[in-house]
Amino acid sequence: MGPGERAGRLVLAGFVVVAVIYFLLPLAVIVGTSFTTTAYLRFPPEGFTLAWYGKFLGDSSYLQSIGLSAALATSATVSAVILGVPAALVLARGEVPAARTIAALFLSPLILPPIVIGVALLQFASAAGIARTFAALYFGHVVLIIPYVVRTTIASLARFDRGLEEAARDLGASGPATFFLVTLPLIKPGIIAGALFAFIISWINVEISLFNTTASLMPIPVKLFNYIQYNVDPMIAAVSATTIYVAVIVVVLLDRVVGIERAATNRT
Amino acid sequence: MRIPRGWAFLLLGLPAAFLLAFFVVPFGVLFLDSLRTKEGLWTLEHYAKALGEIYYWETLLLTFKLSLYVTLATFLIGYPVAYYVVRNVSSRLVRSLLYIVVVTPLFTSNIVRAFGWMVLLGRRGLVNEVLQATGVTDQPIPMLYGQSSIVIGLTYIMAPFMVLTVASVLQNIDRSLDDAARDLGAGAWSTFWHVTFPLSHPGVIAGALIVFTLSVSAYVTPSILSGGRQNVTSMLIFQQYGAILNFQFGAALAVVLLVTTLILVGAFVLTLDRDRRAA
Repeated sequence: MGPGERAGRLVLAGFVVVAVIYFLLPLAVIVGTSFTTTAYLRFPPEGFTLAWYGKFLGDSSYLQSIGLSAALATSATVSAVILGVPAALVLARGEVPAARTIAALFLSPLILPPIVIGVALLQFASAAGIARTFAALYFGHVVLIIPYVVRTTIASLARFDRGLEEAARDLGASGPATFFLVTLPLIKPGIIAGALFAFIISWINVEISLFNTTASLMPIPVKLFNYIQYNVDPMIAAVSATTIYVAVIVVVLLDRVVGIERAATNRT
Repeated sequence: MRIPRGWAFLLLGLPAAFLLAFFVVPFGVLFLDSLRTKEGLWTLEHYAKALGEIYYWETLLLTFKLSLYVTLATFLIGYPVAYYVVRNVSSRLVRSLLYIVVVTPLFTSNIVRAFGWMVLLGRRGLVNEVLQATGVTDQPIPMLYGQSSIVIGLTYIMAPFMVLTVASVLQNIDRSLDDAARDLGAGAWSTFWHVTFPLSHPGVIAGALIVFTLSVSAYVTPSILSGGRQNVTSMLIFQQYGAILNFQFGAALAVVLLVTTLILVGAFVLTLDRDRRAA
């Protein structure tokens, strides 16, 4: 390695250090300022207190929001797995005409404007008489997160040695038996990774929830969004910091299940 | 494993029906509503307004302009990071940590990330404090509300997408090609520029497309960081639904946004295909 190349590598490493700070700084600032003793946002924080966390945990409307977000994310994720895994299986293994188009349909919520999906959902829900109900939120979130489950499951099935399935068949196993005893255990990490992605994406979503909320039916990101437009104080930093902790937990879980590198580059 | 026709139909059909019912049909309802007046009569007046009035064109163009800046910025930040993680890090632990750093913001709500930038860029925020402490300026610079803060915020939201897309493609590039180039006498930069970078183009294009389309349609981040001084198209759509309550016109704006995005993406993909076929 010549001196020029060594210098180049050093510069790149330096750039990455700055980039890492860049990625972490806004989150660190929120977490830091949630502990400040001042009544206004201050970073670096002055003093250390958990009072702001206590304040929002004692507020029933916040607890209700968190509960709603959790219920929404959980129910939507379960449904996304129930719908998405079979779909992925057929798309990857079956001989389906127009498989690519159908796969594109399943993946399209990833790239279409979330605000347009939210608006379309409102109009549809209004027409169906379920506007601003949990049902409307639920349907919207399932549509939003299904692509994550489908994508990781298809990736899992693609990496899979089909010879194992064929061997099981040769040994006399039926189709369903092969699926449950051979295929499923091997793609389980991919499915779980997809479910984790799906859960967190539902948990943090604003745009789709925004159009179907009411005062009593408000997921936590929407509550944050409404609050932040008018008023910023350390309590809202504490609420935001809590969502950051949830994100960290999900990332760590993802790393445990499938390895963050594989999950991030879709090699589940 | 061959799946019998009947099962395949059921296992794929039910999810597809779900998507059709709650994804495709709502778009259809939206589209139909954009062609109606409040009373229910068919009309093209909403499209005439959305496409005719200069204000909406200007907003759309601003939205595209800002998104282009964001795409460029995420490329400049994201490509080097992706390259470093995939190529220059030999420790699996360090690689995992770097991926965690990139993915964690992705798992936080964009409202939280925008809030973080509000705290950083505010008059009493960290950036101003550092600038004043180091003597670069003696008054806090108002940098929070306007086009630049929207670009800064959106870049932060979109950067992980670019990093992960490029990293995914870089991982697939056969390293022996690099070795071959080196064996033939090429230096490190030359190898990168003539071998690695061209091979990573698909990843860059994919990343740019994702970032661009998500930026054009972004609502939360521009809404929070614009401070009411700038509007992007998604904010206008929200106003129609939230404040002005003209659902039909909002629907028309939404369709315009969707269609122009699809056209740009399609055109870009087509020129790519043509280039690739020509090459």
